[in-house]
Amino acid sequence: MNSNVAIEVETLTKRYGDLTAVNGVSFTVDRGEIFAFLGPNGAGKTTTVEMLECLRKPTSGKAYVLGYDISKDQANIKKRTGVLPQDFYTYERLTVKETIEYFGGMFNKHPDVDGLIKLVDLEDKKNVQFKHLSGGLKQRLGIAVALVNDPELIFLDEPTAGLDPKARHVVWHLIDEFHKQGKTVFLTTHYMEEAEVLADRVGIIYNGNIVALNTTDKLISEYGKRNLLVLKKTSSRAVTAVEKLGIKASFDDATGDVTIHLNHALGVSEILRELTKTNISFDELQLKRSSLEDVFLNLTGATLEEEGHI
Amino acid sequence: MSHVVIDLKAALRTFLRNKSTIFWTIAFPTVLMLLFGAIFSQSSTKYDLYLQNQDQTNGKATYWSDALITALNSTNAFNLQQLDASINATDYAIDNRLASLLIIPSGFNDTANVAIFTHGTTKANVTFVFDQSTSSAPIVRSIVASLVDRLNFELSRGVEYMNVQDITIAPKRFTFIDFFMPGVIGMTAMTTSIFTAVSTSARFKENGVFHKLATTPLKRYEWILSRTVYNVIISYLGMAVMVIIGMTVFNMKITLDAISLLMVAMASLMFTGLGMIIARFVKDPDGADAAANVITFPMMFLSGTFFPLSQMPQFLQAIATVLPLTYINEGLRAAMIFGQSQQAIFNTVLITALGLASIAVGSAITKWEEE
Repeated sequence: MNSNVAIEVETLTKRYGDLTAVNGVSFTVDRGEIFAFLGPNGAGKTTTVEMLECLRKPTSGKAYVLGYDISKDQANIKKRTGVLPQDFYTYERLTVKETIEYFGGMFNKHPDVDGLIKLVDLEDKKNVQFKHLSGGLKQRLGIAVALVNDPELIFLDEPTAGLDPKARHVVWHLIDEFHKQGKTVFLTTHYMEEAEVLADRVGIIYNGNIVALNTTDKLISEYGKRNLLVLKKTSSRAVTAVEKLGIKASFDDATGDVTIHLNHALGVSEILRELTKTNISFDELQLKRSSLEDVFLNLTGATLEEEGHI
Repeated sequence: MSHVVIDLKAALRTFLRNKSTIFWTIAFPTVLMLLFGAIFSQSSTKYDLYLQNQDQTNGKATYWSDALITALNSTNAFNLQQLDASINATDYAIDNRLASLLIIPSGFNDTANVAIFTHGTTKANVTFVFDQSTSSAPIVRSIVASLVDRLNFELSRGVEYMNVQDITIAPKRFTFIDFFMPGVIGMTAMTTSIFTAVSTSARFKENGVFHKLATTPLKRYEWILSRTVYNVIISYLGMAVMVIIGMTVFNMKITLDAISLLMVAMASLMFTGLGMIIARFVKDPDGADAAANVITFPMMFLSGTFFPLSQMPQFLQAIATVLPLTYINEGLRAAMIFGQSQQAIFNTVLITALGLASIAVGSAITKWEEE
């Protein structure tokens, strides 16, 4: 296994009776990168990550985490990785500080408890029992716990599911910090924005299969719709002018907007030159970039909702 | 081992912060003991003992047989029922399903005199006929054995043998609280261990604590060991509170020996395993609690915790013989109250065997994760 590779997965499969939860997925995660597994609930994200965490046995296939075989070297993998499970939960009556000390003890480590508490910004909650913490604070404690053994690789399973936007951004900031420290991050999410903002590479998983895997930009350029140029409150004549250039456009009677589907052959400047030449005016000009949402829709024919349903 | 200590500390810390657990483990049994003790402490709990005195002269008990009967009466532990000397007492006991029968054989008085004269080279024997399947017989037997042993001891020593009839040879006067206290200890060990095991096994699985623990180097057996030791400590805590209340409030004389301590530890082990087994098969935590109630509630009432089994109908007594708490309660009673640890050895061995089997099965089937 290449020393620059943190995770190597070869045709990993998990079946429960007749149900195939993960269907022969193969991919690699490089050391130091943030890799996101994006997909709806039930796509096989958690099953895959739990096989890599040595919590579930694969039906077939192989996987290596930090060079260790998941079916043989569980102890070495657990020692070197940190895990934030989906909906992190621990002993209700232990305080933030005691929880971090407890898990540090499980790794035979004496972590910098105060440093970790500071990192996740729980200093004013350090003597508060777990059961009294809000959802966002519990997740932040979960992240601190995932770091007690100073792991090389961190698994984050739906790290911001159910959190409000503010709490979500705090977690994103923390994940970004790990990245800067050179740690490898494997995260699963059903939030398009999360994958787009954080990940170096994104694997889209659907019905147990990886349907696409690349950097966000490449996924968008390969599977996204073309970028859109919108002329606000203009004349329907703009459609005729643009179509003369061989570019598709459409007029919205209700808003008076013209939407132009950009292609690579002609850029915005050619279109603007043609509009000026034909004396067509407009109130405002917007450039809409294609997103992972379009990629997902294109690849699966489905829209991914906020709650992770399709 | 350090993982076990760390988890045990976390469990004990959790216990001290959980008011409801402290209530059910300490306050509830304390209130129960004080309440029942106050209500019933004046009444005696007596066991039925049938007695046939074959050693009579002209229809009157001989000197030493009369002394023995008087001594039996003075224990206040028995409802003595005298049988006619002419009937076959053993057949009578079989026909009437008697639990305990004591026969003072013909010639007992003469043998006792010879024993005194020969300084104990001969012994005057009484015959104790008892039904081993009944729960009260071992207790009755332990009291009678203690009494006869001490009588023999006094006779063979040859000191003041004319005054034997005045010796208080019963271990002590038994009251309801003597009966009740070991029952409360057994009951507390049962409920604490079974509910803690059910609660941790089912709830930790549902809320994801097991999931997180499984991602650390902590081994499953280390966690189970920690939680078993925790249950034993909590059971000992309950036992200590009961003993202190018994001695200070009710002026009880209690023997705390290795047998009684081992019995409580093994009882805790057995019910911990049973709780883990319940939690494995009833996946919903509330359902697991209900299942634990179904098991503990009848056992509490049918195992001689609150009243002697001999006061229950025959069919309930038969049920009690298959309930482990019966053996725990009677073993603790024999060891702690009657000072007859040897009478509790069978019970302790039985509960140890059941405890080891139960914890082995419970450990084997407790999973942190679904495959």
